[in-house]
Amino acid sequence: MSDPAELSLAEARVQLNRGALSPAELEQSCRARIERWQPRINAFVSTSRRNGAAADGPLEGVPLAHKDMFYRAGQVSNCGSKIRKGWVAGETAAVLEHLDAAGALDIGALNMSEFAYGPTGHNDHWGDCCNPWNPAYITGGSSSGSGAAVAARLVFGALGSDTGGSIRLPASACGVTGLKTTWGRVSRHGAMPLSHSLDTIGPLARSAEDCALLLSVIAGHDERDPVTAREPVALNIEQPIRAVAISTGWIEKNAHPEVAKAVLAAAKALKVKLVEVEPPEFDLLSAHCLTVMQAEASAQHANWMRERPRDYSSAVRVRLEAGFAITAAQYLERLRARGAWLERFVSQTLAQADAYLVPTIAVPLPTREQTGPKGGAEMPKLLAEVTRLTRWVNYLGVPSLSVPCGFDSHGLPMGLQLVGRPFSEGILLAAGHAYQRETEWHRRVPALA
Amino acid sequence: MDANTIERLLAAQGIELAPGRAERLAPGVNALNVKDPVGDALPFEADPTTYVVIRERLK
Repeated sequence: MSDPAELSLAEARVQLNRGALSPAELEQSCRARIERWQPRINAFVSTSRRNGAAADGPLEGVPLAHKDMFYRAGQVSNCGSKIRKGWVAGETAAVLEHLDAAGALDIGALNMSEFAYGPTGHNDHWGDCCNPWNPAYITGGSSSGSGAAVAARLVFGALGSDTGGSIRLPASACGVTGLKTTWGRVSRHGAMPLSHSLDTIGPLARSAEDCALLLSVIAGHDERDPVTAREPVALNIEQPIRAVAISTGWIEKNAHPEVAKAVLAAAKALKVKLVEVEPPEFDLLSAHCLTVMQAEASAQHANWMRERPRDYSSAVRVRLEAGFAITAAQYLERLRARGAWLERFVSQTLAQADAYLVPTIAVPLPTREQTGPKGGAEMPKLLAEVTRLTRWVNYLGVPSLSVPCGFDSHGLPMGLQLVGRPFSEGILLAAGHAYQRETEWHRRVPALA
Repeated sequence: MDANTIERLLAAQGIELAPGRAERLAPGVNALNVKDPVGDALPFEADPTTYVVIRERLK
């Protein structure tokens, strides 16, 4: 074995169970890579071990690290911000309790966009997180460190949060697999809030199989998060897929040719029946998502915005200011229509299919400079293009799996999404697993220049 | 909504805006006011809690 850190989580578990590898060897292998990669990609904000000895469980001895917004009692969660720099949490996030009980190691805290409110991975306070495939390019955000650390094989998996694309954007941009869960599938207790109607938590890992292992540990009802459902967590990644819906004409017309080619080739590689459907109203639903997100995020931050607005970066402050211009009636109108839109998606788009396939990011990945403070007049348009196909999913509250499906002419990863019915994570993971049995994109590892 | 209205709305909520910022915010704020055919056709009784009921039914 060349480097144990390059195994998948599932493969590492097998090696650990056989005694071919020890947890200490595995952690050492990850730490050696962190030492080499951190100066290049800035994926970690802390590399101190955050939990105790590994418990006996399904993830015993597996090194993970998580976005710096999942609280751990007595330890710092900076939330990517200046305002919460050095803030010590009083309680532990439900998801970390589950992972601790399963035996996972928590080997550090990962970089993220300030307060999870940015789609690129820029961070004025903690430094930008950089794409492991080329540090001039964005990682996607807001779970920037989670995407970058998993891609560079610094950890075997990481938790992220997804309010408008924050798991799927870094998964796609960094070439890893990321699962945005159904709203209510995973407890958000002890996680930093952004927008309570949209916030979800999910894994980023090297494969759909690895995401399934992590989801099986973190999912389930929690009385401390009253929106969590009592739906049992049934994850059979070997289950057959009936059909996948796709809007080929829309992809050919709207996605960049390189992205369209990769995504349409991937649809064929799935080897399932493809059903052509009209595309969902991406732009309208994305606007509804933004209305809800901005109103809720601004309410969440209202006190700090009144008392210390200069402690936010300019980009986040502008987003928070915008939320105060949304009226209560406008916000509630969008929430009032949410169920009807969900019904329409399931009854029309998914009428004859288990999942809907669409690019995660429809355009070539931009650079950090293009989308940063010096981005100029084109920057808002560029950001809108990057996020165009993720927010509609959050408005509907449904699950979506992003899997790598190729590389563009600049050598940057591209990804596709499989979007499903509420609580259909098992089907999406099965489809992703079937695709990854046929392809090698998820196995590619960036090289350290 | 024009820049002056945005400035007054935010000032009433205690949110301080830098000069010229309201002009920058206006296009994004107005872009969210989209015509919604599904929302327009909702029954009078629909409210935000309907979403959870529908989510449970559609799983």
